[in-house]
Amino acid sequence: MNSFFKLNLRTIIKATFPVKRTLSLFPKLQLKEIHEVKEENTLIIKGVNVPSGREPFLLSNKGELCPVCNSGLDIKHTDVLILSQFVRSDGCMLPRRITGLCRRQQKRMSSLVTMAHKAGLMPNLKPPSSHNDPKKRSGWKKYNKYFDESTIRF
Amino acid sequence: MAALKRVQQWATFARIWHVFDASWQNPFESAELLKKYLMGLHKPIYHPMNDCGDHVIVINSLDIALPGDEWKKRVYFHHTGYPGGATWTLAWDLHKKDPTLRRYTMERLHIFPDLNVPQSLMKNVSNQIRQIRPVPKRLDAYSEKEVKEFPKIIDLPKDYILR
Repeated sequence: MNSFFKLNLRTIIKATFPVKRTLSLFPKLQLKEIHEVKEENTLIIKGVNVPSGREPFLLSNKGELCPVCNSGLDIKHTDVLILSQFVRSDGCMLPRRITGLCRRQQKRMSSLVTMAHKAGLMPNLKPPSSHNDPKKRSGWKKYNKYFDESTIRF
Repeated sequence: MAALKRVQQWATFARIWHVFDASWQNPFESAELLKKYLMGLHKPIYHPMNDCGDHVIVINSLDIALPGDEWKKRVYFHHTGYPGGATWTLAWDLHKKDPTLRRYTMERLHIFPDLNVPQSLMKNVSNQIRQIRPVPKRLDAYSEKEVKEFPKIIDLPKDYILR
């Protein structure tokens, strides 16, 4: 009986909040940037609220599909302007709870991001310790390479 | 022979010079394309016994691309004939040694690793061969405004901490 009630509650929540990330138990926080200010012997770390800057250019997403499925685009690993939306400033993929994609597209996008990095198409999104120029990589990695998207298995 | 016919005869049998930019092109796909021009297969006067091949200048051969990890998977074998004389050279190693490698039977194929082609060859060129695959544009080649104003598929959630 208890489990049935839990299940039922979950379906009700799902029905009322179709997109997962709109549901939050905490008061809504703003998009934050962490600033470190050093004053004599004291380090002040503060979160500053900033707009994401994406609102005016956001595609409308109506319906139950995830944003990528809904856009109906055939995304290739060379479409760096799209793929750079799914990564952090150091080039690593954002998790699914932040991107809000479906399971399949999240896996596909992370494969495409890996391909784009390997082909050296996003050299400015990288960890600070790595080389900026793909031509300075070691051995075989410095030569141009491309990938076939049909090799992605899901 | 009329003047028109004479010129037509020259134009038919003249060797044409083509230029092909090999940057981000698969060399094996390009070979299939350039073969037609080098053998003269695209000409109506083609015959195996008719020597009617054209010249092709290939530029940027240093920037050719191979799919996936083929640079380290493709191996070239050579044996000197002596015991223990076998060598296996990886594709990237061979490319590093000589990016302008071609067979001696292809004397009409002129390969250059970059854009520095002698003017004596370049002045003959009258046609450019279209590339097979599009050259990808790197993210840092776009201006900041282009990246910012490109249509966005997802927005970051409000509680996301920028990193």
